[in-house]
Formats: sequence, C-alpha cells, structure tokens
Amino acid sequence: MNSSDPKVSSGLAIELNGVAKRFGSTLAVEDLSLSVKRGSTFGLIGPNGAGKSTTIKMLMGVLNPTAGTVRVLGRDVGDEPEEVRQRVGYVPEMHFMDRWMSVSEVAGFCRSAYATWNDEICRDMLERFDLDPHKKVKQLSKGMLVKLSLVLAVSHEPEMLVLDEPMAGLDPVAREEFLDGVLRSVCERGQTVLLSTHSLDDVQRIADTVGFLYSGRLLVQRNIDELLAGTKRIRATLVNGEAPDKLPAGVVWQQVEGRDWLVTVADFTPDIVQEIDSLDGIEHVEIIDVGLEDLFKDFVKGQRSAS
Amino acid sequence: MEIDTRSHIPIYLQIADGIRDAVASGVYLPGEALPSLRTLSLEVQVNPNTVQKAYDELAREGLIYARRGRGLFVAEKGETSAKTSAQQSVQRAFQDGIRAARAAGMSEREVRRAFTAALDDSSPKGNSRPKRESDA
Repeated sequence: MNSSDPKVSSGLAIELNGVAKRFGSTLAVEDLSLSVKRGSTFGLIGPNGAGKSTTIKMLMGVLNPTAGTVRVLGRDVGDEPEEVRQRVGYVPEMHFMDRWMSVSEVAGFCRSAYATWNDEICRDMLERFDLDPHKKVKQLSKGMLVKLSLVLAVSHEPEMLVLDEPMAGLDPVAREEFLDGVLRSVCERGQTVLLSTHSLDDVQRIADTVGFLYSGRLLVQRNIDELLAGTKRIRATLVNGEAPDKLPAGVVWQQVEGRDWLVTVADFTPDIVQEIDSLDGIEHVEIIDVGLEDLFKDFVKGQRSAS
Repeated sequence: MEIDTRSHIPIYLQIADGIRDAVASGVYLPGEALPSLRTLSLEVQVNPNTVQKAYDELAREGLIYARRGRGLFVAEKGETSAKTSAQQSVQRAFQDGIRAARAAGMSEREVRRAFTAALDDSSPKGNSRPKRESDA
C-alpha cells in the first residue's frame, strides 16, 4: 500500500493532487494541489471565474477532473461518489429543488436519500430559520432558499460541510442567520468546512485557513493568522523615482508612484526592512500593516501585472 | 465585543483583547466562569476554533484557567495580569510610534513634545494639565 491508503491519509478531509479541469479549450483549473485537515475550516477565495465552483463540483463528484486525483474523507471521489455524498453536507451554488414542491416535501425527499437523516435537526432548524413547511419552493425568497439548502445539508449529520458561495447576494439579516446556522452546526459536531466566497468578512468568520485561487491556480494556502503576521506592505521613498533592480525575496506585488514605492512581501522578517533600507537610492522605509482583504488584492494585482 | 475583519490584527487576538479588557474592568471577576466556546462563538459570530485559540492564549498568560468538564474561569490574579498585559500593549503601541517618528527624522525633543500634545488633547478636561512650554 502507498500513501493513498485511507488509513494513512485519514487526518485529511480533502486531498487534491495535481488536479486540472478543461472545458474545451479553456483550462478552468490548473495543477491544483490542496489539502484540508479534518476539523479545520477552509475558505477558498478568488475573483469570479477563478475556478472555485469547478473545484467544488469536482470535490462533490459532480464533475470529473481532466487530470489528477480528488479524495474526500479518505475516499476517491471518482470511485465512490455516493459514499462521499452520504458523508458530506453540500450547499451548491444553484439549488436543484422542484419549484412546485413544498418545504416539507423537499425535506421528505432528502430524508429518503440519506441513511443518517435526523428529523429532529431538520425540524429544529426549519423552526429556527422561520421556514414554513407548507410553503412552496417557488414562493421562497433567495435568503429562504439558501437557508433551506443549509437545513438539508446538515440534517444528515455529515462529517463535512461544503458551501459554494452561499452568502452571495443575501441581505444582512439572512446572511447573519445563515452564518449562525453554520457556526451552530460546527460547534455541535466539530465538522470540517470548505467554503468558497469572495467576501473576506465571511471567510474570516468561518475559516481558520484560506486558499487564494486565481485563474485556476492556487496562489497561497495558509492559516489566516500566519498569513496576516507573515505578509506586510513596505513603503519606501525612492530618491530617483526608480525601483531597485534587485528585489528582496517573496515580493507579492509592487507599485511605484512618483517617489513613493509600495512593495508587499510574503514571509516578512525585520531583516527585509534592513535589506530594503540598505539598497541604493532608498530613504524612509516604513512597515504598513494590512488586513486580509488588501493582502488578497495585492496577490491578485501581483498576478495580473506578472501575466 | 465587536470583531473587525478589516484589521490586520488576527481575530483570535481581537477576542483575547476583548476578554482581557472585560476582566481588567471587572466584567468577569476572579473565580467567575467565562462564556463557553459555543456561546462566545455564536455571540461574536466567529468559528469555535478561533475562539478556542483566543482562550488558549489567555490560559497561557495565566489570566484564565480550565476546570475539567466545568469550563473556563478567571484566575485569582486575573485582574492584575490583565492590567499588566494592557500596559504591555500600550508600550508596544508607543514603540511603534517612536519608530515611525525616528523614520521620519524627528528628534527626541520633538517626539516628547508630540507625545505631551497628544496626551493633553485626549485628557478629559482638555487643558487641565499645565503645558511644559508655559512652565518654563
């Protein structure tokens, strides 16, 4: 047996290895490797079209990868898609529910599809979310539909939750209710969570680890606290208005405006400041602390200017 | 407790600071129980792993301690050590300020003057403190 033995890899909830997905001539996901530990909460961040949904659909066995392997909870998704679906709670981007069914009919339909369905959880959550069991799906607002989708995803007591941009387009009240529902479920059962989003607020509330996805490639995968501590923006004055030829290691993005030079570096250490300070034509070096949103933007801008 | 997700300060440290402040100001007294992971997680809307990390940090500092199966409690010397950590974080903020002033080429005298002016500005009664310049 090799390292793909389920017993060996049981500490990981998600393992993607060299995964690619091609649609015709478009490469939606490119050489993606990613691992998420059991019990950890992972946020996949990226602009629209970065490949977040494609990645999630491959995790759930909805799409097959063009190359690479996808393992979820120790199982190969391609080999055992049903096993994976039984153990994962999935809130998809698009909700496939019969518009003419009532809320209770939809719940009954899902109940029959899962061996571990728990009626009590379902009932409690419908009540908490103020979802009327007699209402038809077509009468539900966007917020109610997403909340119903979460009820269905957690009622079979899954080991992991996979949430595909669930909070996009929700009003603040519905968003808060949804967040509360996810946190309650995680508090009760210590589930692993994978959330895709472009809200840096949502991701910091739900996730402890993030991955930045851009153009089908993973730029960073790191614990959020370490990322914040290890990435800094440095501002320096350029005497001649020209950035130095030799840059310090780990530059994520840089910009020169007049004599003002901004440079964002990963794996920051005070030595980097000294290094920059000692370069020719540089004055007044200072460190600027930045939040996750600005860090993410710097990574994306850095990629854009490199391509 | 408000969490600022735009800040560069990790959320677990923001939560730890919030609890430290609450202990220093007597919201939670020595020997009293702190909110459970679940309660605090839902209250501040942050995942329980992050809240756990904040509690671990405070336990490491000796501000709080865990009693098996009964939750987390404020340590007997909790109030004093909360004040000590508050002083340390103030000192760190001053050091940052001084570093920025040095980088901008300010002299020690100018830094002192700037500090006194800032303190006068923020004191509750405005000009209640005599100004150094007029003393001389």
